[in-house]
Amino acid sequence: MARMKFLCDAERCIECNGCVTACKQENEVPWGVNRRRVVTINDGVVGAEKSISVACMHCSDAPCMAVCPVDCFYRTEDGVVLHDKDLCIGCGYCFYACPFGAPQFPQAGAFGLRGKMDKCTFCAGGPEPDRSEAEFQKYGRNRLAEGKLPACAEMCSTKALLGGDGDVIADIYRDRVLRRGKGSEVWGWGTAYGPGKPGAAPAQPRKS
Amino acid sequence: MKKLLFVMGALFLVSACTERQQVIDQASEKRYQGKRDTQPWDNDPLAYAKAAPNSFAAPSWNKGDRASWETQIKARNERQNENKRIGD
Amino acid sequence: MQGITRLIAAFSAAALIAGPAAAQAPAEQKADEVPSPQQAERERAAAQPGNNAPVWKEVRSGQPNYTSIPGRETDVLIQPGARFPGQSHFSTAGEAWRQFRNGVVTFYGGWLVVLVLVAILAFYFAKGPVKLHEPPTGRLMLRFTDFERIVHWSTAISFCILAVSGLVMLFGKHLLLPLIGATLFAWLTMLGKNLHNFVAPFFIVSVVVMVIIWLRDNLPRAVDLQWLNPAKVWGFFAHSEHIPSGRFNGGEKIWFWAGVLGLSIVMAWSGLVLLFPNFDQTRAAMQDAWVWHASAAMLYICASLGHIYMGTIGVEGAYGNMRNGYTDETWAKEHHELWYLEHKGDRRVGGTGGAVPAGAPHMKENA
Repeated sequence: MARMKFLCDAERCIECNGCVTACKQENEVPWGVNRRRVVTINDGVVGAEKSISVACMHCSDAPCMAVCPVDCFYRTEDGVVLHDKDLCIGCGYCFYACPFGAPQFPQAGAFGLRGKMDKCTFCAGGPEPDRSEAEFQKYGRNRLAEGKLPACAEMCSTKALLGGDGDVIADIYRDRVLRRGKGSEVWGWGTAYGPGKPGAAPAQPRKS
Repeated sequence: MKKLLFVMGALFLVSACTERQQVIDQASEKRYQGKRDTQPWDNDPLAYAKAAPNSFAAPSWNKGDRASWETQIKARNERQNENKRIGD
Repeated sequence: MQGITRLIAAFSAAALIAGPAAAQAPAEQKADEVPSPQQAERERAAAQPGNNAPVWKEVRSGQPNYTSIPGRETDVLIQPGARFPGQSHFSTAGEAWRQFRNGVVTFYGGWLVVLVLVAILAFYFAKGPVKLHEPPTGRLMLRFTDFERIVHWSTAISFCILAVSGLVMLFGKHLLLPLIGATLFAWLTMLGKNLHNFVAPFFIVSVVVMVIIWLRDNLPRAVDLQWLNPAKVWGFFAHSEHIPSGRFNGGEKIWFWAGVLGLSIVMAWSGLVLLFPNFDQTRAAMQDAWVWHASAAMLYICASLGHIYMGTIGVEGAYGNMRNGYTDETWAKEHHELWYLEHKGDRRVGGTGGAVPAGAPHMKENA
């Protein structure tokens, strides 16, 4: 059983925004909506600048799904959170609830009136017949039904953004971490006791 | 008696106001009332992939066979691992 | 409310941090030798080059960073933490809001509405309506002018539309959706949402006019204090005992000040924040506004149920007064004695010549 996931390697992302562009191009995303975005932390600080690409994370316990007044969300058997634009009423509750700011609303009228919600579909379309014109118009390309993976991850030039089955991308990331010899310290001695040999006495607490 | 029934009915209605479990199982599949989505493996592979099943572009799967679709997706997923793709 | 809890939490957090620091300050070296968080992180980056913890801490912080994507809050990776009333700990704002909406508001709010409804109906079946003691005289007094009635019914009808569509948006998923299916329910809710959005400004204007025209008659008087006496109020409802009052009685005045004015201000302010998302307000502002909006709406709906009960089946003759504008002298005497005494025989307010205007037949038969 596959469980679709995204993983962004902050060590590798070069903030090229290629994933954003690929997504817009592949899905013909409505004007004013970016299903994916790249955010840079400590922008311009040498040695501390890290970029992360973020979109819908297809949560297991999705807040958007829980607060939707018309229950237009559903989760596929691959763990992709999708929604039905025919049911969406544009209330904006999913946008309040989402931690990542993934759901977005094209403006549908004066005074910021919200249209139908639009978000990342993991390139899995929506409830319309797969690979149909109607599905493409509403949700974009259904690449999973073509045997492909999300465009953003597949075209990422540094392979910072991984997307696909959780087991496989975990393997890829683990392999990568072992090779470059960093990243795993988050769990290990480096974090707990600073640089030093395993088994060395921990640092003495400061006297008060 | 009528009043009692009314009160009990009202209580029953309010008892529904909780969050439903977000588990993917047969029951929740049935509970979702919107349009049914087709599964990705219920589609034919694209024509060019069918013509050359082991080509670079997309290995193939059998329509309706979930296991073969997942195998193909995982194989394609491996292409995101540049260590395997380019070699050491 | 949430702003206050956040403030309190911030203060207590500050106290927690400041407490030990203040205690240690004299014993240790000067305070300026304590490294700043950025400095500490830079040191850690040098000492532990592979440690990504500071980055992920930053990701979770909810602080704005840099992004080239235009739009509001696109530079925030994960919403900052928040805690709404009744929550023991901070969680991501969206998650906290979801817990508040799907827990506190649907559960307690739903119960409140149902219990008020049940209590009112139980009272009606047990005690019956408040009745007149004497037969109507047939002489009518003008109780509400045409303009007053237009304003009242504009407010009342728009309130009902807002309340029903709001309840559908909150509870419809649980109550209506399983019955009528997703397609029809989504269509109805879409209609409800649009009605809610477009009727709301009309409601606000109606309430403003209503407050202006009835402000003077709703100023509290000494006699109204009796309405704060539970025994008197019980006597009125259960035994139809009269409490003397002016044009509006104490109960009506409480409804006017707390409901029509107070709750309307909360509803209108929070509703406008939600209605116009094009003023670059943040998600946090809209979550807070929603919490106020929904909580006040629950109270407003419950209070309005009481008002609707009193205005229709709860008090004999009350509905006809607002329907036709005229009331019988007996009704006026038994419900608003001071007003009756002030205006008895006052031709400008209401004719007492015994002629029944065509629009007011409800008092003729022993209604």
